[in-house]
Amino acid sequence: MELKGRVWKFGKDVDTDELFAGRFMMGGDETSRSQYQEFIAKSGLSDVAHRENVPGDFLARVAKGDIIVAEENFGIGSSRQQAAETLKFKGVQAVVADSIHRIFFRNFWNLGCPAIDLPGISAEFETGQEIVIDLRQAIIKNLITGKEFEFRLIIPAWFIDMVEAGGLIPYHRSLKS
Amino acid sequence: MTLVEKILAKKAGKKVVRPDKIVEVSVDRAMIHDALGAHTIARFGELGVKKVWDAARVIVVLDHYVPNKDIDTAKKCLNIKKFVLEQGIENYYEVGKGGIAHQVLVEKGHVLPGTILVAVDSHTTTSGVMGAFATGIGVDEMAVVFKTGRLWERVPGTIRINVEGKLKPPIMSKDLMLLILKRLGVSGALFKSLQYTGSTISQMSIEGRMTLTNMAIESGATNGIIEPDQKTLDFLKARTSQPFEVVQSDPDAEYAETLEFRAEDIKEPVVAVPSKPSNVVGVTEVEGTRIDQAFIGSCTNGRLEDLRIAAKILKGRKVDKFTKVIIIPASQEVLKAALAEELIATFVEAGAVVGPPTCGPCMEAHMGILGPDEVCLSTANRNFQGRVGDVTAKIYLASPATVAASALKGKISDPREFF
Ligand code: SF4
Repeated sequence: MELKGRVWKFGKDVDTDELFAGRFMMGGDETSRSQYQEFIAKSGLSDVAHRENVPGDFLARVAKGDIIVAEENFGIGSSRQQAAETLKFKGVQAVVADSIHRIFFRNFWNLGCPAIDLPGISAEFETGQEIVIDLRQAIIKNLITGKEFEFRLIIPAWFIDMVEAGGLIPYHRSLKS
Repeated sequence: MTLVEKILAKKAGKKVVRPDKIVEVSVDRAMIHDALGAHTIARFGELGVKKVWDAARVIVVLDHYVPNKDIDTAKKCLNIKKFVLEQGIENYYEVGKGGIAHQVLVEKGHVLPGTILVAVDSHTTTSGVMGAFATGIGVDEMAVVFKTGRLWERVPGTIRINVEGKLKPPIMSKDLMLLILKRLGVSGALFKSLQYTGSTISQMSIEGRMTLTNMAIESGATNGIIEPDQKTLDFLKARTSQPFEVVQSDPDAEYAETLEFRAEDIKEPVVAVPSKPSNVVGVTEVEGTRIDQAFIGSCTNGRLEDLRIAAKILKGRKVDKFTKVIIIPASQEVLKAALAEELIATFVEAGAVVGPPTCGPCMEAHMGILGPDEVCLSTANRNFQGRVGDVTAKIYLASPATVAASALKGKISDPREFF
């Protein structure tokens, strides 16, 4: 499984209050999936103009298939899944970071989006570069510099099948009981 | 094996587990609250199963947005109540019966030594105080736990935090924890477990210990845990009749790292300055910083011991005229005890407002939300930018003693003058 996209470079300690502020957490009517997605997508990173660890033009220019490459401790904080959902619904298909907080790591994978931690990886990318992630071979490539990086994920054996199924819920629905 | 490794091995049906290996375990308790419960239920509905795997193991607590602040929050709570009735979930804590979930889980005896608890909240780590493996998960994952009663986990290596000696009042476990975070940083324990040991921990009350396990997550840890001792067993005796088996670390357990602290070295109370819980300085360094709001409460420091020390400082005095002082007991049980000891009367007399048991100004949920550039000194656990309202507001974290002393003056103050 290969993911290819344009890079957005984020700084360190991007926290869940930053990704999805508490004031929006009770919003988003679950009865209509499309309305829910729209609400979650537009509510995320609401105060980004005040942040130093997210590029200023991210909200205006993020597009489907983009990939975030971040410094250490991405997704620190709360278990609110909206923090992961907002990135997915804005179009981000994967997050690669020097390190990733456990709950965000799980939440993002569960949405069918890989979260890959590899110490030092952030120094190898700039915003606007092209990145390719080969999930089964466990290799990240920078298409601009031509450099390749091997990663080692600590995940259950069924995780990549789960991503291919579109996330944890669709994967579980497809399992024979 | 360490305590956490032994619990995970037992629940995975394995003799041995090693750090950074994946295991699949059975879950003993699963908790949802109002902030993410309705989402969990919607996702559970998508799985196409009718009944949760074991209704007796599910606990539901309404705490973040209660009493409901608007129609949206009321609707979500109604959804949750409907689910509770349909599923026959006995362990349901409606407004006025429970309080903040992490407090309720422990004080109602839902968390037993050697068991596994998951909840849709990062501060689920609090329940590790009972010698359980307790950790937070997202709502899709909780939907699957509701279906299967099972969870995968990456076995965390254990960082041992060993603390020796006696904490001298008004130094509290909160000060100790902030200093631990200063040493570890906010990512120092990613995919690791924090286990607290040593004579300081043995001497500490269950309440004080809960502050430590609560804030383990702030170092990035998977969980925080303390080995059960006689205090734990006495605490549980009054709260549950369910059988359990105490799990202890092996004498030859291997730790990823051991950090040593000496209580005597902590000379002054500390404060975490914006916007990370690990930005910790001595109180004298920020003394005199003007505050607009002082908050005593949350799952970190809203317990009886916290309210007692605050009342000791506030008794017979008045809080600053221009400072909003908000005090919220963590649970109905804490409120009841605080009423009996006349702590609530002390707070009201002093000019503080006392809220019903709820999360309150710990996050931007319901009450005590901050406006532009406001400064709040809080006993909660996180001071991220925008955590409690406007993104330009500033949050400082400290112990209940430091917050109470500061409430009197309207600026960050050293509580030692009251001791
Ligand atoms: S008191 Fe704060 S940290 Fe604790 S559960 Fe409530 S919102 Fe979360």
